[in-house]
Parts: sequence; C-alpha cells; structure tokens
Amino acid sequence: MITIIDYGMGNLGSIYNMFKHINVESKISKDTDEISKAEKILLPGVGSFDAAIERIRENGLKEILDQKVLVEKVPILGICLGMQILTSESEEGNLEGLNWISGRTKKFVFADNHIKIPHMGWNIVRSSKTNPLTYNLAEDSRFYFVHSYYVKVYEEKNSLLKTTYGGIEFDSAIQKDNIWGTQFHPEKSHKFGMKLLENFAKI
Amino acid sequence: MQNLVVCKNCIYDSRIPGIYFDHRGICNFCAQIDKLEIEYGTGTKTGEEKFNQILSVIKLSGNKKKYDCVVGVSGGTDSSFLLYKAKEWGLKPLAVHYDNTWNSAIATENIRKVTTKLNIDLFTYVIDNKEADDIFKSFLLAGVPEFDAPTDLAFTQVLRMTAAKFGVKYILEGHSFRAEGISPQQNNYFDGKYIKDIHNKYGKVLMKTYPLMTFYQFMKWILVYNQKFIRPLWYIDYSKPMAREILIKETGWQYYGGHHLENRAASFVHTIYHPQKFGIDNRNWGLSAEVRAGVISRDEALQIYNMPITPDPELVEYVKKRLSLSDKEYEEILNGEKRTFRDFKTYKKRFERFRLFFKLMAKMNLVPMSFYVKYCFPLPGEK
Amino acid sequence: MLRTRIIPCLQLIDQSLVKTVQFKKHNYIGDPINTVRIFNELEVDELCFLDIRATVEKREPNLKILTGIANECFMPLSYGGGLRDFETVKKIFSIGFEKVVINSFAVEKPEFIKKVAEHFGNQAVIGSIDVKKNILGRYNVYSKDGTEKTKLEPIEWAKKLEELGAGELLITSMDNDGTWEGFDIEINKKIANAVSMPIIANGGAGSIEHIGEVLLKGTVNAVALGSMVVYQKKGMGVLINFPDKEQLNNEFLKIKK
Repeated sequence: MITIIDYGMGNLGSIYNMFKHINVESKISKDTDEISKAEKILLPGVGSFDAAIERIRENGLKEILDQKVLVEKVPILGICLGMQILTSESEEGNLEGLNWISGRTKKFVFADNHIKIPHMGWNIVRSSKTNPLTYNLAEDSRFYFVHSYYVKVYEEKNSLLKTTYGGIEFDSAIQKDNIWGTQFHPEKSHKFGMKLLENFAKI
Repeated sequence: MQNLVVCKNCIYDSRIPGIYFDHRGICNFCAQIDKLEIEYGTGTKTGEEKFNQILSVIKLSGNKKKYDCVVGVSGGTDSSFLLYKAKEWGLKPLAVHYDNTWNSAIATENIRKVTTKLNIDLFTYVIDNKEADDIFKSFLLAGVPEFDAPTDLAFTQVLRMTAAKFGVKYILEGHSFRAEGISPQQNNYFDGKYIKDIHNKYGKVLMKTYPLMTFYQFMKWILVYNQKFIRPLWYIDYSKPMAREILIKETGWQYYGGHHLENRAASFVHTIYHPQKFGIDNRNWGLSAEVRAGVISRDEALQIYNMPITPDPELVEYVKKRLSLSDKEYEEILNGEKRTFRDFKTYKKRFERFRLFFKLMAKMNLVPMSFYVKYCFPLPGEK
Repeated sequence: MLRTRIIPCLQLIDQSLVKTVQFKKHNYIGDPINTVRIFNELEVDELCFLDIRATVEKREPNLKILTGIANECFMPLSYGGGLRDFETVKKIFSIGFEKVVINSFAVEKPEFIKKVAEHFGNQAVIGSIDVKKNILGRYNVYSKDGTEKTKLEPIEWAKKLEELGAGELLITSMDNDGTWEGFDIEINKKIANAVSMPIIANGGAGSIEHIGEVLLKGTVNAVALGSMVVYQKKGMGVLINFPDKEQLNNEFLKIKK
C-alpha cells in the first residue's frame, strides 16, 4: 500500500490512476494518523516551494514525515515540487526545505529568450548507476517535465538521473538511502513512467 | 467429455451445434469446404482463370471512374491483404471502414499504414457512440451470443451504401473459407430483423445512425443496384501467415495476435463473452482452418486449443465502463439465461422460402455464397 | 533534448467527438474514450480537449466524460470549454487534468486567469485565442466558439494574458481550421515574438511539412493537430491516427539544420 500525501499541492488523481492501472494499491490521505502508519509514501507537488513547505507544517506533517523517513526509513518518492522540497533550499522561496538530501533548487535563467521557461515537454534522462527505482528502464525512455526551477544536489552520489535543458544540466532524479525524487511526472509519462512507478512499488 | 468425437481432419468436435461426421470420421464443415474448393477452384489454375475473368469485368465497369470497387477494411489480416492485392491486380479500390467506435490503436494504425502506403482513399462510416453502446448492451441483456453481430451486419450495409454512393458495382470482401473456415452457424446468426427486434426489446436509445439492413434494402441492393459481392480469397491461393509476411514487409502492418482481436468488441466476444457465458471457444474456427490448409498440424492445433484462453482483465473493465454496467449487472449477464436467435424475430424463415432465388443470386455473385449456404437452409433438427 | 510537442487537439460537443471546418459544420468523429485509448496506445505527447459548444450552449463541462478520459490517459492533458468558475476548474484538476484552456471567459473577466494561475501555477493555464483575418488583412480576436467578435487586438491580448499569468498560449486560426492548407504563419510568428511563454499553433495542419513550417517560420514551440489526426486525408474517412514518428523526426532534423 502506497500512501499519496494530500497536502493541497497538486494533481493527485493522475498518480492514483496510474497506480490503479498497474495494479498497485494506493490511497490518497491527509490524515496524520493514517500517514503515520504508511508503509510507503508518495509526495506529489505542484505550485511554489514556500507554499508547499508551509502546507506541510500547517498540516502537522513535518514531524510525522521526519519520523517516517529518517527514523523508520520508509521508502518515499517525491515528484516534481515534491522532489524539490526534499532539498535544503530553493531560490524560489525563503523557507528551509525538508533538507533530507542536501542540494539546492535553482531558477532556470537563459540569456536567449527563445529558450522558454518552464521547461515543458518530453525529455530524456541519462543514468550512470543502477538503482531499484530506475531498474530496467527502456533505453528510449522519455519523461514529461514541467518546471521552472531545477535541482542540483551537493553530493554527486545523490544524483540518480540527469537531464539537460537549454544547456543547463540538472538532476532529474535524486536518491539518498530510502529517499527518492523525480523532477518529471512519471504518472504522465506513458509506459516509461509506469515502469518507474512499478519499480517504486517493488522497493 | 467421454463421448467427445473429434473430426479426423480438423479439430471440430461433437460439441459444435449442427456437426455430423461421415463414415471416415470427417465432419460436415470439412466436407463443405472441400465442396467449395472444387466449386471455386481455390488456389488452382481454374480458380485463377475464373477470378481473372471477374477482374477484367470489374476493370471494365470502372472505366473512366475514380473507383471500380469498394473493399471492406478492418485493419485485420484478410482485409488488409485484399487491399494490397487489389492494388496489385490493377484495380482502383476505395477502402471502406465501418467504425463501431470500439477500435484498438492497432486496427486504426494498420488501416493508416496500408492505405497510406498503397495510396488508397478511405471512406469511414462512424456510428454514434451512444447508439453503438446501446445496441451492444441490448445484445448482452438479451442473453444471445451474437454480441458483435450488429457490427457484422452494419459492415455489409456500409459496404453496399458506399458502393451505391460512389456508383460502384463491385464489393470485395476479405473473407477466406480456407483460412477462416465456415463458422458454426448456431451462435453466429445475424440479420436486420434480429438486430432490430433485440434492440426494440432491450435498447433505450433511438436507432438513428446505425446502418440497419432490412430485407427490403437487401433486395434493393441486389435487384436495383445489382451489386456484386466478390470474395477474391475464395479463388486464389491464400494463407494468413503468407499474407502477414507480405503486409509486414510491404506496409509496416502489425499483427495483433489473434482472429478479430483488432476490435475491442470482437475481442470481448472471443476472449470473454463466448467462453465464459456460453462455453464456446471460437479458436477452433481458425485452428481448424489452419489444419485443413496444412499451416499447422492437427496435434499442434489441439495443443493450442487445449490451452486456456487468457482474457485481458482491462477489457472487462472497458466493457463495463462503456456500457455503464455495474459489477453486479455484469455478473448477472454472464450467469444469466442463455438465449438464441430462435427466441427472437428474424428473417430466417423468409430466407429459407427464398432459397432458390438466393441460390441463383449467389451464383450471380449478388449475394455471398456463404449466405446461401448458411442462411437459406433449416438448421439440423429444424423443420 | 526536449522534444517538440505535437498535440492532438480534439473537439468535443458534450459526449461526442467532432471536427469542424472553419469553426462551422461539425462532423461526427466518434467516441471520446475509445479515441483516447487509441492515442494512449500510440503514446502521443499530450492531448487537448475542447468542448467547443459548452460556453455557447451554457453547459458545464461533462465531468463524467472527462473523468473517463483522465482514467485512461497517462500523458499530459488539457481541457477547455465552459470554464467559468473556480470550483469547476478545481474539479478538472482533481480528476487528473493538469492544464485548463480558457478562452471566452478570459475575454469577459480577465482576472479569472489570474486567479487560476495564482492558485495552480502558470503552467496550469493555457490562454486560448481564436483569431480571424478580415478582408483588409487585420486580425481580430473572437470568443464563444467564433460567434462573437471582440474589440481585442491579438498581440496586445496575448501580452495581457501573459501578464495575467497564462503559462502557454493556444493560437487558433479560424480561417485555417479544418482546411488542411497549413498554419497561419504570420499571426503565430507575431505573437511568438511578442511574448516569452510557449506558443501552440493550431488550425490548418494538413501535412508533416506544415508542422515543420510553423515551427521554423512561425517560431512556435508546439503544434496542435485536428483534422490530421482524425481523418485519413483531406475529404476522406474518419481514422484516428498520428503522423508517422520517423517522418516527424526527419522534419525536426530539417529544422535543426
């Protein structure tokens, strides 16, 4: 059972739909009791960095999540903004991130105004390591991205996948211990995303 | 299954309605096919000559016209191959597709690839989706096996309508008795009256866009429009594996892994509805045909036939969703009463009365020979 | 490398899929859910659904159909048509769409765009502009499925929409819609040069070359396809399809050169 955290940030229906499609049990929850019993957590997120952190605090989730992730070592996958808030800080806001993976969320800045922001659409990922989350991904895997900020982890060992947009290379997936994050939306990435979520379900 | 008798030639067995065996232990279906092969000269010089004559008449009829024939297409092997051959024979075909709105991507992709590659125009008749679903649902509620019959009949009607619309006299259809066999008739009956009757009794939506073929229209197509129904694969040497190989190589066409599985409604009939409600496994048509044609051995066919059918659980969900059936309603349908076309109004008796007329019409290619063979005689055990 | 997005743009009238020619003459295409399944199997980049008559017929979006669509689709989805209040927009997002397309109501009440963008982010809002050229070659903005001519000037309106918070623009040429004659390069280029958000060109695609042309000369970022993905070819039968991927890639390579 995967618990999809509903903290008012973004599109949970499509994540739930994809889990259902691949026959993985999941539930959407904002109930702190329920979350404190979670076996596996999915942290979605669309919107702004500070708003997300605030909502987590307001809902009393910060302590529970710290306990689940850092002490109980429950596997967690952050998607899009849900990955960005795993880092230490963001150029988008002033609040401190969850700081589970040390890194910085930065703003895309391009001199050439033909390179549009957000980075929106299908892009490829490069991988140099084997990891349960990215296990057996097809050679031609592509994923759907939509974001104006990107993550750079401080320690290279925490970088799992890399993607380039407009000449900037960023970490499109990150990992440390039981904590994973993807910048792209696996739930919107056809069979490629399905494979990745299947992998997460098996961890 | 102690008394199960299996045909010595194919894999049809005594569970098939209307089957009987001769002194050699060979079934009447095999005998029927042998008879047709002789009559049509299938795959022989005679067949070829017969067909070449037809070809030249078709070509003559289309002189100075944009099209000289219409070819029904579904994206499946036979119809795709026929389109390919039509072009090779120098015909000017218009491809015609009846869209029952239950197509799979592989069907539409195949139609795209074949028509684009061969530069053939396509005419499509699309039924209103709500109406299609209502008609499909009425067949489930009626408890009869012919769930997909509305598609088969509409397909024929659309072919005839389109031929009339474009002033074409020749209708080519990719049926092959050799490759597909003649299907056992007692769970595969359809005519306009039958469909109308079931829909009248169980349908909710007004029938407006469904191309229903009434007896009157059937007569009109034959007698007024003089439309000839040609099945080229009855004459020429044909096998599905050979056809697939050519199609894949020449057009990028893709195989979908089984007879009729390119459409979700047909797929539902063959992999779920027939086996689960009626205990019918239609794989024996194709397998028997392959055995008769020497594509696979009888042992191989029996081996495949004895393997369970693997339905796609998603397809069940799809059917429930499209037809707005709750889990309970769906279960009730699958476990409910089984009926046959005899429980409803049909043209069957009328077809039988007109037997001699249809025999003549079949000889003149105005109706398919299989129509005459299957529909104009009382079924075994009937008066 | 970021792929150029080629987006089937499908027109709904309530539960039916249709296709128009120059915003008139609705041709029936088929069942939306089954069509979506086909596009899903074809792994298209993204899908856009527009209920073209919802506003005019004063209908709410058909949430049942949209839920059915979202349950089938594992790709980005956008919806437009009859979106006039925040609660409905919220529902559209909650069932699994990630973008809403707003046209008529933005003309009536521009702050609506702002409200949606502030709450769901700019990336969630596609501003939609229907343009038509008059006899003098001037472009006008139309609303309500092309039935109402507005006083707005397309380029100024595009800038205004960006300012209000739209993250993308869908530019539809009413003259070219359903003609298979190619995109209106001029208006797409003018708008693309005036704003910094991505532009989706819509209306008129008839061949893979047209797609290449509007990307290169119109300098747009994405392309919407209507007739091309629902018909076999011009004047021919309904056939749900997507342009050959290899041919598309060749066309993209030409642009890169």
